[in-house]
This record gives sequence, C-alpha cells and structure tokens, in this order.
Amino acid sequence: MAGVVADRDFREGFVEMVPACVGIAPFGLVCGVGAAAAGASWWSALGMSAIIFSGAAQILAVQLLAAGAPLAVIVLTCFVAGLRFLMYSAAMAPYLRPLPQRWQQGLAFLLTDQAFAAAVRRFGAGHPPREAARHYLGGGAALWGSWQVTNLAGYFVGNLIPASWSLDFAVPLCFIALIAPQFRAMPSIVAAIASGCAVLALSGLPMKLNLIVAGTLGIVAGTLADLTKERWTRR
Amino acid sequence: MDATLKLWTVIAIVGTLNYLSRLSFIAIFSRRHIPALLARAFRYVPAAMLTALVLPMVVVAPGGGETAVAAPRIAAAIAAGVVAFRTHDTLKTLAAGMVALWLLQAAKAWIG
Repeated sequence: MAGVVADRDFREGFVEMVPACVGIAPFGLVCGVGAAAAGASWWSALGMSAIIFSGAAQILAVQLLAAGAPLAVIVLTCFVAGLRFLMYSAAMAPYLRPLPQRWQQGLAFLLTDQAFAAAVRRFGAGHPPREAARHYLGGGAALWGSWQVTNLAGYFVGNLIPASWSLDFAVPLCFIALIAPQFRAMPSIVAAIASGCAVLALSGLPMKLNLIVAGTLGIVAGTLADLTKERWTRR
Repeated sequence: MDATLKLWTVIAIVGTLNYLSRLSFIAIFSRRHIPALLARAFRYVPAAMLTALVLPMVVVAPGGGETAVAAPRIAAAIAAGVVAFRTHDTLKTLAAGMVALWLLQAAKAWIG
C-alpha cells in the first residue's frame, strides 16, 4: 500500500483531482447539513458518506428518511438515482479487464461521476492499464477523503453558514456541470426534456416517486430518439 | 422501526446496491456481452436521471412551491449550464452559478 501511495501516477491522480474535490465540497457540506437535520448521529452521518459515497443517494436518503418514507421507497429511489453507475461500470469494464480482481473490486468502489470522467480521459489517452489504474486510485482516494471531511464539516458546522448564501444551490450546479456537456448529442437532449417535463408534471406524487418515473421515461425517450436518428441517417 | 436502525438499514442496503451497480460490468458481468439495446439505453441514463434530480431543486424553491420565488435560481442555473457546456469545468460552473444567483438575489432585494 505504501508503495502505491508513493507512486508517481497515484500522486498525479490525487493532485489532478483536487479542483474537482473543491468543486464538490459545497455538495459535501450540504449532505452533512442534511444528515444533521434528519437527526442522524455524527457516526451515522459518517457511515453514510463513507459507505454510500454518492451525494445524490445521500441527499435523497436523508430527505426521504426525514419525510418518514418506507424503507422500500428509500432503497428503490436511491437505486434508480444510482443507475448511472451501471453505465459507468460498463464503460470502465474494458479498461479494467487486464487488472487483477482485487484492483477491479477496489476501483469499482471509487467509481463516481468525477472519478469516471477523469478515468475515461486517462485510460482513453492510452496509458498502460496499471499506471492508469494507480492514477485512478489516487483520484478516487482524494475524492473519498475530501468527501468524508466535507460531510463531517457540514454535519458539525454547516448550520453556521448563513442561509442567504444559498449553499444548497451548489448541489444542482454540480449536476448541471455533468449534464450540460452532454447536450451536444440530440438524443441526450430528448432524454433530458422528457425527463424534465415528467418530473415537474408529476411533482404532486408523494415521496419523490416522480423521480423514478421521470428518469425511466427519459431513458426510454433518449433511446427511441437515438434509434430513430440512426434509421434516418441510414436512409 | 427505531430511527437509528432504519438509517443503518438504509446505509447497508443502499451502500450494497450502489457498490453492486459500480461493480456490475467491471466484475460481475465482465464475461457477458452487453446487449446492443441496453448499451444504447445506458448512454442516456445520466442525462435523464440527473435532469430529474436537478430540475426540482432549481424550479421549486426550498420550503415553498412558488415558482416566482425561484426565478433567480432558474436564471442562474441557465447561466451555469452555458458555462458547463462551453468549459466542461465543475469549478467554473459552480462559480458562475453561485455568483449569478447572488447577483440576481441582490438585484431582486434592491428592486424590492
């Protein structure tokens, strides 16, 4: 382990991830504030950020817990919100195939939106798999570590941040940073419009069930748009 | 169910499901071929799911359902979207969105 940490690729991956860590720091604070507001103990809050390690799932979980939603609804909603991990996993699989199983299992745990974006760039640039894997491990370690620090900071001192700063707005901004670049592809725009219209139209549904319905509709709409586009271009 | 027990049950199940999702194609189905339709559908998961997550946070103001209250948020989100589209940079997107929101809120308070 010490050998890996001292490795050049690991350190590079760690350092290159620092700006992304700063970018998601407000998100981590908001998650910590949410856990405290839901009445979680500090070690439960830490357990949540350390084990779930997904801002979207953590926010949804604490909001639904605070609203008294049944366990099945909380689990299903968090799972659907995390469906994109399946896609990231499928995209990473060819790159990680040459690695030992232990590395695959470890790196999979660190698969997040930010780590995925960085890893696709690094592996895609043609670095040898083992070097790119150590680079990924460094970035993942930076993200995981800073996520625990910001979550705990939010838990303990988040309520000192004035409401007028609207820190909660950092959460949608983090997701906008991920979505907007995808709007170069027409089917992605269709997916977002369908999902967006549905989520607002169905906002009357209890326990955020509109999220599951809208997300599914958006995926179907995007896939259909893609198939249609292909048929048209083939003509 | 006791609140702490419920929270830890959520942590255990969601944590496990999240990890299995992350591990899925890397290790569990690594020898299986991904069906073409599924691979196609995967491409649109982030756009669909993240939009469903984001829009209620932007359009519906926290604590209230009034769309008028949220107007600065909508404008700031669009500004952030333009920056994200052009730069692909989380930090710049965050800075643009937050500064736009603060300015618009200040302007709104000043106008009254």
